[in-house]
Amino acid sequence: MFVLDGLLTGPRAPRLMKQMHPDDAAAVAKAKGGDEDAFRVLVERHTRGVYRLAYRMTGKPEDAEDVVQETFVRAFRQLNRFEERSNFATWLYRIGFNCAIDYMRARPHRESSEEPETLERISGHGNGPGIDDLVYAGEIGERVQTALNALSEQERAAFLMRHYHGHSIEEICGALNLKTNAAKHSIFRAVKKMRVALRPLLESAENAQVRR
Amino acid sequence: MSNWHPTDEDLILHFYAEGDAADAERVDAHLRGCSSCRASWMELGETLKLVDQATMPEPGPGFERVMWARVQQALPARRPSIWSVRVLLPVAATLVVTAMASGYAWMTWHRAPAGDSAPPQPQTTAATPKRDSHLGERVLLTALEDHLQQAQMLLVELKNAPEGASDFNFERMMADELISSGRLYRVSARQQGQAQYAQMLDELEAVLLDVARSDNKVGKSDLKSVRARIESQDLLFKVRATSKQVHERQRNLLSAAANE
Repeated sequence: MFVLDGLLTGPRAPRLMKQMHPDDAAAVAKAKGGDEDAFRVLVERHTRGVYRLAYRMTGKPEDAEDVVQETFVRAFRQLNRFEERSNFATWLYRIGFNCAIDYMRARPHRESSEEPETLERISGHGNGPGIDDLVYAGEIGERVQTALNALSEQERAAFLMRHYHGHSIEEICGALNLKTNAAKHSIFRAVKKMRVALRPLLESAENAQVRR
Repeated sequence: MSNWHPTDEDLILHFYAEGDAADAERVDAHLRGCSSCRASWMELGETLKLVDQATMPEPGPGFERVMWARVQQALPARRPSIWSVRVLLPVAATLVVTAMASGYAWMTWHRAPAGDSAPPQPQTTAATPKRDSHLGERVLLTALEDHLQQAQMLLVELKNAPEGASDFNFERMMADELISSGRLYRVSARQQGQAQYAQMLDELEAVLLDVARSDNKVGKSDLKSVRARIESQDLLFKVRATSKQVHERQRNLLSAAANE
């Protein structure tokens, strides 16, 4: 009997609800007609969701806020292209991912000459705190974010869309304008890098378990 | 048991339920009978569970209003009017107060998480039936093999690029990405005592840095100097040889683990 039977057999459920928020349709219809208050409803309803994806993409709160702003401005401009039968959140998040990619590409070129201390830290072995402590200290979040930051923009977007938002590879291809193989390989590379970067955390959890 | 083992890519697709039913059944059946692949599968699941457990700083209350104020300012064809000033001034005043209060609340929450805001406890180790002493190395090798293949592609591109000024943007971006992931793998290789891989990545990085720092349009002499560096260090050959070595080592580890 395997302890991880569920993991062996259970396919991963998509995270994002595919149904449109019932009030989105009405707000979108009004906003399309130029109603700024209706658009405000949409901004206020979805701003945290967009912020989360923008933060995961950029790794910095202030950059994430810029991306949120740009996402809604682009969404407003493109609102007439939005098809009513689609899911507004899905459509908006697509814009969000693309805004984040554009934003990151426009940032100054990475300083390539220095060994980033963060990589040493995220991969750092040692007798650090146990996994429970790490969870509660929010350090896992920090380490995961640092690992995400080590991915290329395309890898990060594809991985986040697949992992956090439950988009299929086909949907990712559409959103990021990639061919199937490119989307798959972006996810493969992202997962492989995440595994290398987060391996020490798992090892410290295993060691803590052995010690108990 | 057949000689077939799912690749890491197969396992990733399986995890995300991207294959068809027959593929899923085949992988499941194999995982039940192969302890080595099962260890790898569990490690994958646990890593991705860790990603799920990652918390991030949530913006404080009033964030929606802050963002709306910013969005509204930036919307096209915004109507400049007394109305916006009348609304925005009190909003700005409220925001200062809210930001201070939420900053304090966030810091308090961040330092002492408890109750509903605490993330769920991980169930990582309880699920691991047997420790695979080479799992960490296998994870690194799998990533490294990909990395070296991409590096080979880039080196070949550079070697075969036409002389004269050419657009170097793609190569620069690729070099930049390879530097970033190479550093991660080098740190990991050193920690695992794999000095030869760390050294290979060091040598590779020196050339990648040249490429990443080059101008978008490179001249004949720049290209010549990068090529000379690649050739003088036998870099392409070394990358190919290491890549082959990595591949062999992976196969050996896999069959050793399967025979355990």
